[in-house]
Amino acid sequence: MEFDWSVIVDAMPALLGGARLTILITLAGLVGGLAVGFVAGLMRAYGNRLLNAIAFAYVELVRGTPIVVQVMFIYFALPMLADIRVNPMTAAITAIIVNAGAYIAEIVRGSFLSVHKGLREAGLALGLPTWKVLVYIIGPVAFRRMIPPLGNQFIVSLKDTSLFIVIGVGELTRQGQEIMAANFRAVEIWSAVAILYLIMTGTLTLILRVTEKRMRIL
Amino acid sequence: MSIVEFRKVTKTFGPVVVLSDVDLAIDAGEVVVLIGPSGSGKSTLLRCINALEEINGGDLVVDGISVRAGRSQVRQIRQEAGMVFQQFNLFPQMTALDNVAFGPRRVRGLSRADATEQARALLARVGLADRGHHFPSELSGGQQQRVAIARALAVKPKLMLFDEPTSALDPELRHEVLRVMRALAEEGMTMIVVTHEMAFARQVGTRLIFMEDGKISVDGNPAALLANPENPRLKDFLQHVH
Repeated sequence: MEFDWSVIVDAMPALLGGARLTILITLAGLVGGLAVGFVAGLMRAYGNRLLNAIAFAYVELVRGTPIVVQVMFIYFALPMLADIRVNPMTAAITAIIVNAGAYIAEIVRGSFLSVHKGLREAGLALGLPTWKVLVYIIGPVAFRRMIPPLGNQFIVSLKDTSLFIVIGVGELTRQGQEIMAANFRAVEIWSAVAILYLIMTGTLTLILRVTEKRMRIL
Repeated sequence: MSIVEFRKVTKTFGPVVVLSDVDLAIDAGEVVVLIGPSGSGKSTLLRCINALEEINGGDLVVDGISVRAGRSQVRQIRQEAGMVFQQFNLFPQMTALDNVAFGPRRVRGLSRADATEQARALLARVGLADRGHHFPSELSGGQQQRVAIARALAVKPKLMLFDEPTSALDPELRHEVLRVMRALAEEGMTMIVVTHEMAFARQVGTRLIFMEDGKISVDGNPAALLANPENPRLKDFLQHVH
């Protein structure tokens, strides 16, 4: 068969529109996921028994179920259960927040607990309350250690958005699927889709590399 | 009035009794050297003073405040009792200068400029005026420990606790730390030092305490005790550390 470049040229506006949605879902999802992950991770690391148990249950529930099931639940089951009606876009972003939040919680917990306990004692010995020790001493060291695993999670979440094809969000994979269904040019379309994903993940990797270089990992 | 007073203090880790019914009063201006075999409870005794270890029985009063009084009182005690650790424990993300300025800024609430100015003076005092912009990883062990001493002094404590401050250092780096500690003692700082440096005990210490099995078994003048240790266990111990 012949690789027909004009197919890609024609499909590009729709594909770029899809990529835009992919980026939007990822960004909004990760901002929320980071907030949820920090709270849940700190609850796991420093919370009392109750807080710890709540965070643990959340992490296990999310890690133990596929993200497709999670988004289906949010989009189809939640309206029936609680009469909460959400549009596909909101469902997609919520799914990323909930899903990435659980994995980020474990990253946050691990990196805070990996900081040598002597630093905590040194901070306490100066007469600081525990929260200041966490904010000014442990936090900055832990944050640097989080960067590599967080980068990994960002890329995984970006690619997970392709699964939202199941609820009809017009992100990149869905756009590719729709165009392909109309013109049957599988090779051209899926090549273009793959390359667009690579460009997005590549940009993420680059940003993380630069951040890592600027902040020495301690 | 004593600045530190142990009243029948007991400390246990699970079934292990680390301090048993310890009575001890330390006055302002004393330089107390704590020695003893490993596991005798000397580090724990030191760490109970600033409540890094919680006591299980008895009472411990530091500068008029009980370690059992509550969180904010404990923070008060910690501001009055600076601590220097065996492993230095400098904050790795901060320069030497920021390490020293940290306490005044975050504990005493000084402005950045004031805290930095004060930190500069303290670094000069420990002989590191030209190292302020180095990170801990760029300093030798002896330099790191001197920064750690400056960091503890920056909060203006009345009392300094040293937990084996030279044990992690190469022999040739120890003297620079000991020199700073000696100068501090000569300025009249109250110091409690867990160490194996017998020369320091003899020359700088005003009181020597030998601990065994969670109890104080010898307490007296360092020069006299080191010259003529009557207690057979102390005698045996001294033969092994020299």
